Amino acid sequence: MRFLIFLLLTNVFFLSKAQAYIDPGSGSIILQALLGALAAAGATISIYWSKFKSFFKKDKDKKDKK
Amino acid sequence: MNTDNIQIEDSSFRDNQGNIVYFNNRILRVINKSGKKNLDFINESGLLENSIKKNFLIKTKLLNQKDLPNFFSKYENVLESDIIPFISYPYEWTFDQLKKAAIHHLDFQIYLFDQGAVLRDSSAYNIQFIGAKPYFIDLLSIKKYEEGEYWIGYKQFCENFLNPLLLGSLKGIQHNNWFRGALEGIETTELNKIISLKDKLSFKVFTHVCLQANLNQKSISSPEKMSSKYKNLKKLPRKSYVSMLYQMKNWILKLSFKKEKTIWQNYSEENTYDSQENNEKELVVKDFIAKEKPNTLIDLGCNNGNYSKLSLNSGANSVIGFDFDHNVISAAFNEAFEKDLNFLPLLFDAANPSPNQGWNQKERKGFLERFKSDALIALAFEHHLIIGKNIPMDQFFEWIFKISKKGLIEFVPKSDFTVQKMLKYRKDIFHDYSEKKFEELLNKKANIINKTNITKSGRVIYEYKAI
Repeated sequence: MRFLIFLLLTNVFFLSKAQAYIDPGSGSIILQALLGALAAAGATISIYWSKFKSFFKKDKDKKDKK
Repeated sequence: MNTDNIQIEDSSFRDNQGNIVYFNNRILRVINKSGKKNLDFINESGLLENSIKKNFLIKTKLLNQKDLPNFFSKYENVLESDIIPFISYPYEWTFDQLKKAAIHHLDFQIYLFDQGAVLRDSSAYNIQFIGAKPYFIDLLSIKKYEEGEYWIGYKQFCENFLNPLLLGSLKGIQHNNWFRGALEGIETTELNKIISLKDKLSFKVFTHVCLQANLNQKSISSPEKMSSKYKNLKKLPRKSYVSMLYQMKNWILKLSFKKEKTIWQNYSEENTYDSQENNEKELVVKDFIAKEKPNTLIDLGCNNGNYSKLSLNSGANSVIGFDFDHNVISAAFNEAFEKDLNFLPLLFDAANPSPNQGWNQKERKGFLERFKSDALIALAFEHHLIIGKNIPMDQFFEWIFKISKKGLIEFVPKSDFTVQKMLKYRKDIFHDYSEKKFEELLNKKANIINKTNITKSGRVIYEYKAI
């Protein structure tokens, strides 16, 4: 039974990757996994980076007002 | 009901969900059993209606099959799309046109993603221009987003949009000839071979071109290893999918063609006749257009589109312009886009126009199969073919009449500065090239309605009506 569930799940995974009438290119899909990981990391960094920048900006704004 | 006028579009065979069918000059999209569920999703989710409202998708509506001939009863659904006046292909677009099409595709993807849908493919042929505005024409490309799925059309997007644009921006090479030869676009593995080490220093070029090319190469050289990697892939997070779209869009927005000045770029400013003669020419065009009021007009050798624009203002409904100069077509397109003109300038070489090609030599149609118009203007054009390409005068007329039965043709005499320039380094073999001969041959297959001398050098505009 467990095996069946496993099979079902992996099939769902597989289907979502390959459900195309055009050839998505296995290399191009694998690249997306890499890019996706980088993009997610990039997004996190950019959030922190903008917070970091806005921290200094606020500081600067306060100084300017003074 | 008569079913003789039903014809399946030759290029619509790849997708098993549906086909394009022409019926009495109408464009219908028939949906097969395998496409029914997808269409229901597109329709019931409101995506069909909203994508049209937002000008992403060409106007398409569901039809009642009872109103159609029996032929259509075997299909699950039938939809009707607005008619696209002229179908054009990415190998007839300039860099800027392809870029506009790419951004339209990505904007549509981003919009769809927000609504829980994606596009199943990224064919550049699915974008068509009406005037200078791009529209997505294949509604069956839309599908429901499934959590964790990858961008299926990514490889195709690179081949159809990104790689041809990189060829222009990194190398200053127009994509047109390559794209026309390889109808599915420029393969990443091939582009990778011609870009320099300096180009590869860009992180984006390195990942989307070099890395992708290497990974796809590996899937050929070590298929088992790649297949096991592929099977073990995790789901692609939603955030990653959408950020790939945004990053691609931001990158493409920054790309521009590596420029060089071309011969015809300053033609309008540097042309060889004075302003009074120019006014004369404008008057002839104005009068002809006002009299004929063509629904469609073709402007051969349109340059920056001055006479196309004049024609639109004088009563032409839509104009397609052709020229072989990349820079002038780009400038004309950008202006038409900004001003929302019903004017589509396209790249073409009259001596070698787009052929019938692709599957069964019918998938992508040739120039003459697609471009016929109510009227035509060919100003300062004929000498580029007759002198420049040695096309016999009688064959030139034959070809012109296939495009339009009536129009204006300007004759440029040998004494004219531009012809003199063309013959400067060549032997003059054109002993028959004269106004007299031109008129004689034109008269054989057409009636000359009007004849106007427009320059001191002897340029003449003929208004013809083919017999």
